Amino acid sequence: MASAATVLGRLSLIPNLSSKPKLKSNRRTTSSTTVSVRAQASFSDPFVLQLAESLEDSLSASPSSSSSSTLSLPLQRIRDSSAETLLSTPWPSRKDEPFRFTDTSFIRYSQIEPVSTQQQRNSSILDNLTETQFPNAVIIDGFVSNLTIGPSDLPDGVYFGSFSGLPDDLTNRVSEFIGNFDSGDLFWSINGMGAPDLIVIYVPEGCKVENSIHLRYFSGETGDRESKRLPVSNPRVFVLVEEGGEIGIVEEFVGKDEEGFYWTNPVLEVVVQKNAKVKHSYLQRESMASAHIKWTFVRQEAESEYELVEVSTGGKLGRHNVHVQQLGPDTLTELTTFHMCVNEQTLDLHSRIVLDHPRGSSRQLHKCIVAHSSGQAVFDGNVRVNKYAQQTNAGQLTRSLLLKPRATVNIKPNLQIIADDVKCSHGAAISDLEEDQLFYFQARGIDLETARRALISSFGSEVIEKFPNRVIRDQARNHVKGLL
Amino acid sequence: MAGANLQLRHAYSIAQFVPTVSSSPPPQRVRFGISPSRVLFCNLRADSAVAPILRTTRRSETIAASSVSSAVDASPSSDSLEKSRDDVGRIPLLEVRDLRAVIVESRQEILKGVNLVVYEGEVHAVMGKNGSGKSTFSKVLVGHPDYEVTGGSIVFKGQNLLDMEPEERSLAGLFMSFQSPVEIPGVSNMDFLNMAFNARKRKLGEPELDPIQFYSHLVSKLEVVNMKTDFLNRNVNEGFSGGERKRNEILQLAVLGAELAILDEIDSGLDVDALQDVAKAVNGLLTPKNSVLMITHYQRLLDYIKPTLIHIMENGRIIKTGDNSLAKLLEKEGYKAISG
Repeated sequence: MASAATVLGRLSLIPNLSSKPKLKSNRRTTSSTTVSVRAQASFSDPFVLQLAESLEDSLSASPSSSSSSTLSLPLQRIRDSSAETLLSTPWPSRKDEPFRFTDTSFIRYSQIEPVSTQQQRNSSILDNLTETQFPNAVIIDGFVSNLTIGPSDLPDGVYFGSFSGLPDDLTNRVSEFIGNFDSGDLFWSINGMGAPDLIVIYVPEGCKVENSIHLRYFSGETGDRESKRLPVSNPRVFVLVEEGGEIGIVEEFVGKDEEGFYWTNPVLEVVVQKNAKVKHSYLQRESMASAHIKWTFVRQEAESEYELVEVSTGGKLGRHNVHVQQLGPDTLTELTTFHMCVNEQTLDLHSRIVLDHPRGSSRQLHKCIVAHSSGQAVFDGNVRVNKYAQQTNAGQLTRSLLLKPRATVNIKPNLQIIADDVKCSHGAAISDLEEDQLFYFQARGIDLETARRALISSFGSEVIEKFPNRVIRDQARNHVKGLL
Repeated sequence: MAGANLQLRHAYSIAQFVPTVSSSPPPQRVRFGISPSRVLFCNLRADSAVAPILRTTRRSETIAASSVSSAVDASPSSDSLEKSRDDVGRIPLLEVRDLRAVIVESRQEILKGVNLVVYEGEVHAVMGKNGSGKSTFSKVLVGHPDYEVTGGSIVFKGQNLLDMEPEERSLAGLFMSFQSPVEIPGVSNMDFLNMAFNARKRKLGEPELDPIQFYSHLVSKLEVVNMKTDFLNRNVNEGFSGGERKRNEILQLAVLGAELAILDEIDSGLDVDALQDVAKAVNGLLTPKNSVLMITHYQRLLDYIKPTLIHIMENGRIIKTGDNSLAKLLEKEGYKAISG
């Protein structure tokens, strides 16, 4: 509730909120936005403004698809509304409830530089990638760089690629859904302001895509810790699955070197139409020095299913904001997530499931391990069961393992229930490893150290096993094993 | 008498393996390193009820140099080097002397002086009322951290068990089947067994088996407990029925092997068919050298696995030892027939 109040309160302070549509229609070019940003500077956090300007400059300098003349309408719309929000959004501090336990000052006091949009992106750095048997694409700094997805990989009518390449009939359809989200935070808006391209995945009615689409995100540019130069990239992907369609999407974030200093600020929007299904796998293994702040915004129509399986281990600061909005009855939402801190790092999951219609079902399992005395895990799991969401069945469970003295976890499960005929549960457990289980290993001749390792990796495997794709499952398992 | 023999044993091993005998005794480990499985033990068989308290068993390091020569003299044949037998040629496997133990948390004393000797190839049953200390006894033997030994000694194959970590006890050949084994979500039965099996191989200095080699080794063992192979892919005890848990314990025993298997209420919660399977498996594992210590409430199990001796435990002590007729008496008249 508190977080909702903050957002609403902030919005209500914006004097020109009501005239938003009008302003949008007036601004077509980036230059006019710039003018308005500068004109209203007095309302705002100067640092955020400066950042917004530098994002804007980096994009307008580009001769490619993002130049003002060919800029696609939806992307422009996203930019405009983001610019507007940034005007009145200060950099979050620990006093803001959503950031109470998540310190973003490491980003704030770095020298943030938007990645250059002109630089030739070279996918040869990705040589070491293993082949996967399903269609995959590499996204470097927000650009689709290496499309290995051929038309033959995808069924008829399925589109994958930049928004600008979308067939005309789909342009309007996709545009309908873009830019309608008002629960984002500063980072959502920064992405909106800085996204160089909009990557679209479109699944037509009744189409069941057999192979998952695998997106691999890289940061092409890295700064360094000495000079504090922090390149930021803002990849943005939009997924629309029409009625009865099904698809699996794998997002993998990879740091190409262990100490890479950069900031990835991605957004994924998913619209799941009636009776459609999306299985979303998300594996975050950025470098241990990086910042990774991701937004996933999901809209679910009646009888649709959305499943998220996440494993996050990377980043000095890693945060995943998931917002699932129910738009019709009988939906199924499943969030299964695992965060593991083995370094001096903060990993944060802020999830929110908003149920507004009857008979929705949501299941959430969040697990985290903190295996470093300066490591911290944060979980804020919000489930809102609003007035008309009768006969909702919502369950949430979070389990944390603290393996070192002073390792920290901040857990805030919160259920807000207004409907009166619902079944909701939540639970939180924080512990070290179970003595009984350790002894069972020992009693069979397995030493304590091996037993601990086995139990720690088994803790995460409950989540890892949920990855629908075997390749990702093995990859995640090996990665976690390697870190331990 | 027993105490004297004990000294002889140590003295002899010193004389045998350490060329320069000094007045300070060598560390125990040296001795084990040389003869890990068979350490001399002379005539320690004594009626458990009247056995003298032998705390010295624990660490007999205070051996005077003078006893060395006499010990050598006292050993007439080199045969006794290999195995020490009692009068009728039995070799002791487990010797428990005046064992006392408390619950770590509450300091409540549960075992109040248990005495028990198990020889190679014997099957012993421990019976007793609920709360008499049977399960505690078995857990103390394998080194469960909930209990603390406050007195007495446990010698297994001549080694002081109390000095060993639980995993060392297991590797030494001690196996306990848990009364209610814990679930270990996320660890498959196969992986668990493979880990335990390889730990054993490492200890023996033999090559470890990879999962594929191990699998073929396992399949034959599965038949022993009448289980299907998909059993191996399930997580350890997760969602297992009572019967499956017990079978799984016996499967572990079959795979890992043990010189002394302690079966803690292996019969509880089993239907007749499952009980027969389990009993058959246990009998199949018995050799002239392996021993079994069963803890049970029921005569039924003893019909399938014939015990050499039955002990009745009450209030933290073994109060009576006898043959199978004791169990029959118990079945008929209850514990009052014995304690009364």
